[in-house]
Amino acid sequence: MVVSDVPDGVTGESNDGADEVSVLVAYRHDVHKARGRSHEHAAEWFRDVPVNESVPVHADRDAALLSRPRGRPADTLPAHESQRRVPLLAGEQSLLDDVGDADAALYELVAMESPAALHEAWLDASVPALFSESVYYPATSLKYHTVLVAALLDNYRAGHAFEELWLAVTSHGPGEAATVVPHRTVLTTPWFALHVTGEPGEWPAARLGDVPAQSFADVWARLPNHPFDVDGQRWWRVLDAQLRRIRSWSTALQYIEAVTTALNTDESATPVAGWSA
Amino acid sequence: MTRVQQLLFSMDSPYLGHPYFVTGHALYSALARRVDAVTRQSIAVSHGVFLPQAYGSPVEGTASVRPGAKLGSSLPDVESYADLFLFRDAAHRWVSASRPRDVTNTHPLQRYRDRVAFADSALVSRPTGTQGTARRVSWAAQCYVHVGDDASADVLPLDEAVLDGLRVGGSRNYGFGELSLLDSQVIALDELEYSRLRAADDYRLELVTPYVLASQFPGADGQDVPWWWDVQGRAASGGLRRRATRLVDGADVYDLQTVDHGQTVPYAGDNSVETAKNGVTRVGTHSRYGFGELRVRPADTDRVPERAEGRARGEI
Repeated sequence: MVVSDVPDGVTGESNDGADEVSVLVAYRHDVHKARGRSHEHAAEWFRDVPVNESVPVHADRDAALLSRPRGRPADTLPAHESQRRVPLLAGEQSLLDDVGDADAALYELVAMESPAALHEAWLDASVPALFSESVYYPATSLKYHTVLVAALLDNYRAGHAFEELWLAVTSHGPGEAATVVPHRTVLTTPWFALHVTGEPGEWPAARLGDVPAQSFADVWARLPNHPFDVDGQRWWRVLDAQLRRIRSWSTALQYIEAVTTALNTDESATPVAGWSA
Repeated sequence: MTRVQQLLFSMDSPYLGHPYFVTGHALYSALARRVDAVTRQSIAVSHGVFLPQAYGSPVEGTASVRPGAKLGSSLPDVESYADLFLFRDAAHRWVSASRPRDVTNTHPLQRYRDRVAFADSALVSRPTGTQGTARRVSWAAQCYVHVGDDASADVLPLDEAVLDGLRVGGSRNYGFGELSLLDSQVIALDELEYSRLRAADDYRLELVTPYVLASQFPGADGQDVPWWWDVQGRAASGGLRRRATRLVDGADVYDLQTVDHGQTVPYAGDNSVETAKNGVTRVGTHSRYGFGELRVRPADTDRVPERAEGRARGEI
């Protein structure tokens, strides 16, 4: 059995050299999972781009702990052979199947040299959302794991320890662009955005807690404001209710993406028509 | 001597009601037409929390579970105060990690024309290309009933025949929202173990259900945030999250302003055990219909058990 990722083990990460390594490494560190390769057998290059490098200051370990259990994957878990993500929202599968050349799309997501542009490309990406971050936890999302690694790395390098981090929320009007903070915005939707940051400023925000854990439901429930109109539309209350259940961060962020994508693409499902019952 | 009767129902059909809970008012209304006048006037009903019937084990409290038994198909014994809350938090942190927990505990949704219902069960499939078959996860709802005044304490326990087959939520005359009784047990709050609370010095309050600040309901009082909630420290991060909701009583709809559930505040009172008991029988306006349910938690415990695990391993 190949254990391809061990959140609490010695993974070769180092606290040294944090400043020298570009945040680009965060976006490139796990792309082998989407290409069907284990960490050990992953290529070190994706065409001309170095990939599968260690992420400094434990950002990868801590992001993993936000989304899946610590320790070696339990032996009782059936070893799934597929890195494909299991969707939590019925109907999401048809959206998932509609991708073109996955390898070309993945290359785009590692090749950009502008860190800010790469961050935005990941927020908009659909191909890494096809994959889980671990074969043992098939509802997790490789896309949001990667985005969380970058957010933690960026915060850590700015001097914020984990216990100083917040989940902050912003909302925006129809047709307006989402508020994006480079590397710290972890999700954008047509209506709101979520950020993991040590500097929430005036935004509604809740602390993540003193140690990384599968704490999404807890943190979400403690926010001083939710970023959508829960009192206006039943759909938002349904989503809110689900987010108080989901503990894994990458799973929760992916679920929000799935629900808001469905609301945005299905005419009969838009929040302004029909869902108020 | 306050007793509560815990009730566990299986969902027998999809549910089209309030998304967070089956409200205490919906459950009360369904019960009221089946019981006598004395019972109708004396019972108070909590909100019903949805849960998956799944394997797992409690992460706090003293409840023991028969090995190999699914939780959520019966009510575990309640010996300590913490045991009361096993099924009261939608995150259901007792769900076993040996299966994908978030798959198990995300309530499956079904569409009926333009409406979204919570399904009574769902097939959980494995990833494509892997072996094994799909398994079915059935859903349940847990609530509890108590009696406001000691004089009519003997109306509990409610008879199983009264409790079985309640219908709640929208389109219930068309087969939605059917609940059948799985289990029932009566608990005396004064006989529970509170030593974990007594041993602590600092506490946090968890709002298990919304707390009503204002209600349009005739004769209902407005309420301030209680003095024993220490909300000063929250001002910097935006204060308490408030919500507008509604109480539907037959054809009448009353607007409510609430402090939303799920939030936590430091406890500023000086009698944690008494507050704990009062939090079970609930505080504030419309407490009879499920609002104002509180849990008192020692400040050195965390509702996310993995945090304690991480602290123990020094992952700070």
